[in-house]
Amino acid sequence: MRVSEEKTAVACRNIVKEYTVGGEGVRVLDGITLKVCRGEFVSIMGESGSGKSTLLYILGGLDRPTEGNVSINGTDLSGLSDETMSRMRRQKIGFVFQFYNLIPNLNAEENIMLPLLLDGKRAQDYSGRLAQMLELVGLTQRRKHTPRELSGGQQQRVAIARALMSRPEILFADEPTGNLDSRTGAEIMSLLEEINRERGQTIIMVTHSPEAAKSSSRIITVRDGKLKE
Amino acid sequence: MKIIVKYMLTNVKERRTRTAVMLLSVILSSALLFVSCSISASYESAQRKMARGIYGNAAAVVRPAEEGECADSTLIPDLPTVGATAGILKGSSLYHEDGYYESVDLVAADLNQLDNINKPRLADGGELSDLSPGQIVLPDRFASKYRIQRGDTVTLRVNGNPEHFTVAEIAAYDTLFLRQTRGATALLSLPDLARILGKTTGYSEILVKPAEGVTREALIADLKEALPEDICEVSEAADEAQIEAGARQKSMPFFLISFFAMTMSVFIIYSSYKVITLERLPVIGTFRSIGATRRTVTGILLLESLLYGGIGGLLGIPAGILVLRLILRGMGSSLSGGIEIPAVCPPLGIFLSLSAAVTVSLLSAWIPASRAGRLPVKEVVLGKTEEKTRPVRLTVGIGTALFLVSAALPRLVSGTMGYAAGVFSLLGLIAAAILVISLFADLCAMGLERLYGLLFGNEGRLAARNIRGNKSIAQNITLLFISISAVIAIQVVGDFVTAYITDVFRDAELEGFADGSMDREFVQKVEQMEGIRSVVPVYVYNNEITADQTPLSRAEATDNLEVYSSMFGLAYTEKGMETEAAAAFREKRAVILSEEWLKQRNLSLGDTLTLSNGGASYPYTVAGSFKSRATDVEAILPASCAVSDFGKERYGLLAYTARDPDGIMVQIRDLFGETPNWSRTTEEFNQDALSTVEAFLQPMHSMTYFILLLAAAGVINNLLIHYIQNRRTAAMYRSVGQSRRQYTKMTLIEGFSAGLLGAAAAVAVSYMEIQTIFLVAGPKIAMQPRLEASVFLTAGAMGIAVNMAGCLVPLIKNKKMKIVEEITFE
Repeated sequence: MRVSEEKTAVACRNIVKEYTVGGEGVRVLDGITLKVCRGEFVSIMGESGSGKSTLLYILGGLDRPTEGNVSINGTDLSGLSDETMSRMRRQKIGFVFQFYNLIPNLNAEENIMLPLLLDGKRAQDYSGRLAQMLELVGLTQRRKHTPRELSGGQQQRVAIARALMSRPEILFADEPTGNLDSRTGAEIMSLLEEINRERGQTIIMVTHSPEAAKSSSRIITVRDGKLKE
Repeated sequence: MKIIVKYMLTNVKERRTRTAVMLLSVILSSALLFVSCSISASYESAQRKMARGIYGNAAAVVRPAEEGECADSTLIPDLPTVGATAGILKGSSLYHEDGYYESVDLVAADLNQLDNINKPRLADGGELSDLSPGQIVLPDRFASKYRIQRGDTVTLRVNGNPEHFTVAEIAAYDTLFLRQTRGATALLSLPDLARILGKTTGYSEILVKPAEGVTREALIADLKEALPEDICEVSEAADEAQIEAGARQKSMPFFLISFFAMTMSVFIIYSSYKVITLERLPVIGTFRSIGATRRTVTGILLLESLLYGGIGGLLGIPAGILVLRLILRGMGSSLSGGIEIPAVCPPLGIFLSLSAAVTVSLLSAWIPASRAGRLPVKEVVLGKTEEKTRPVRLTVGIGTALFLVSAALPRLVSGTMGYAAGVFSLLGLIAAAILVISLFADLCAMGLERLYGLLFGNEGRLAARNIRGNKSIAQNITLLFISISAVIAIQVVGDFVTAYITDVFRDAELEGFADGSMDREFVQKVEQMEGIRSVVPVYVYNNEITADQTPLSRAEATDNLEVYSSMFGLAYTEKGMETEAAAAFREKRAVILSEEWLKQRNLSLGDTLTLSNGGASYPYTVAGSFKSRATDVEAILPASCAVSDFGKERYGLLAYTARDPDGIMVQIRDLFGETPNWSRTTEEFNQDALSTVEAFLQPMHSMTYFILLLAAAGVINNLLIHYIQNRRTAAMYRSVGQSRRQYTKMTLIEGFSAGLLGAAAAVAVSYMEIQTIFLVAGPKIAMQPRLEASVFLTAGAMGIAVNMAGCLVPLIKNKKMKIVEEITFE
């Protein structure tokens, strides 16, 4: 697919990521260049340890590359301060993790509202949007439950609602079905597919499941730190 | 075994901050325990040194049986139990300079004899070899006070006659120059003092040192047997039992503080071990899966705690010595006489501190370690273990019931049982608070959510939200509450004791008193002294009179009840009672009684008591009752009746007011001459009381800072635990857009709130504890404690500050946190 610069949601150039393990440098990502357009649903696949999750976190600004740069909506992430990067995470980026990562002492609706609360928004001004989100993920009846009181699938739905609450430009998902049984996993994938299709939400997802990857519009593979499309 | 030790040492090395906090808590508590043990021994040694003073290493004193007589040194037989003897001649004199009078006790002895028992030490370190007639040795304190130097001439008045001496040497304030009362002691040559006193043979007393290997008791028994009772009496040089009891009393508060410190240490180490075992569950699972027994797992964890206990205990002792020296330096200056207190480190104290450190560490680690050992292998390997939670309702129910019982009990029970109720109440209030603290924190957090939302925005609201159901924060609040309430209780009780003891004459008019045998002529001389305003002579009956066959420990008789009442600050039970009592005193045999005595015997005004001194009995009408902090008298009688009924020729007490109370006091002491007396101006009395009570309380106050230090260690430990347990949550927050600034703001708000709640709980509980203390002690105390809001607020503020300072640890740790590492794996 040919994409113009204006339509680029996220782009990275010559990304290198090295770790030092036991005194020796290990190159996990080796010069990756990638562009993802708005509205795309991209799956990143690869074997364990191939660096696919590392790439996702670098694209989402949770990790920094050793070399190369990443831009979201044309904004280069490399020079951003912690404050600006945090604001970007609250407003432009949504994350869904394999282990849900919900705040254990907050209930479902508090977890969903969290990015907006951290952004200084008044909760009551967004009650309508919250209701929509809860309806979208099918948890209207469970809004007051804490993560401990929810099943794995329900927790992941809360995580998806949280990621979408601030209407981000891009939704990053790291193995969103990795910790779920196949039926629940399929439900989550169909939810993500629906969100991409109905709302034009850009999604970049890491998965090792070919079944899950089928929902996406493009599949890229990371092998030995390099990209194979 | 080698591999286990290596594993354990790696753990200790890798978790540096936690290792440091655990060691610090063990070091502090063992140091405090060591100080508690040593302060007792040091104080005892100082007291012994001070009590001995003139007696040196003499164990017994032989005095003439008749007052004013002299003991002949030849009386002491050549017994094998006697090591050495020294005859001491004693007199008194008055030093006067620039309108200021000072009592100087004169002492003389054969220097060779004195050297064997109590060798004087010169200020310049030299030795006193000889003392000729006309020469005097003065202590450095006295000499520096009046700028007297060697070679100067000083004039002392002995029985009103001036005696001139040349200062031969300046002695160190030590040995025979040490004293427990005001004034100074001067050493003269034996012929000089004998001449001045007109006692050419014999001594005032003979000091006897036991032979090597002979006990004090054996020497005294031998002397008593050998010496005729009608000629001389033998007594202990210093009351060893009293010294020991005094030292024990002084060290008691330190043991109480150590108890607090130990409780806090247990709390710190226990919560640390809970996290340590939680963190190590995967490793424990691996150990168990490859065949390690429960005992091995428990053993590994306990071995580590043994290491903390051992090292902490060993480091605690030098730390304790340092603390001890600091405390003793302050304590020495406030002891009467201002002598230096030597730091004594008893081996028992070292052993006790070390073994307590090890035991506390082992016991605190025991529960979590043995729990980890008992976990099913499968659950540990799969990481499915969950902490069991107790039902909240039950916990809160028990806590509330305990709180109510603890608050009510001291109000319901009195008498001997009151003390038991008081102890139960004090412990119960703390235990109840610990049980309900989680609920208290949750409820407060709900209120704070709204408030912080308005004050600090969403970060404030979320910070308050994070307090709810947060065990680490509840633990922090508990730790702060224990330490702050200890600080408040020590402060309030200490301030009260100081005020109570040093302000007994607040409502009394008298400015000085003389306790001794005085005749009418003596009183007249006092009345004629320049600047005297008012004098009240009092007849004293100590255990001489019974009222309805109940002995009165002290009864006094006066000619003028009105003046007596204002002089001793009698607070009559009812208005107008004073006038009625004064009228009754003039008309008939009347008696006024202390309120306590009246209540104990269920007496009322107008009742008739039969007073007797063992001979004749007389009916006295109860004409009033009173309370007074200035006197412990139980009954006051009209002097005219008492003297004729029970006979008394000489006064036993005199109180006065004057333009210059000090000047009058010096003259009264001069009038007494060698007659035993206890005469003080109220200012002197208050100052002596203050120095005694401060010597007692000042180290206690210093110890409160150590409690706060220990609380700081515990708070840091808890915040560290909180951080470790919530590292993942912190990363989750960061992943959804929380900035470092927001994390800092939220952490500080959480820290402030925990401090605030800890302080609020401490203020409430310590207020209840103080009420309990004074309810139990109340009947014996004629003064209400003043509860200064500033004491509570300062202690609370200190607690908040400690908690806020502790927040630096998670803030620093969070800076290094890598979000991806924390959130990728469960």
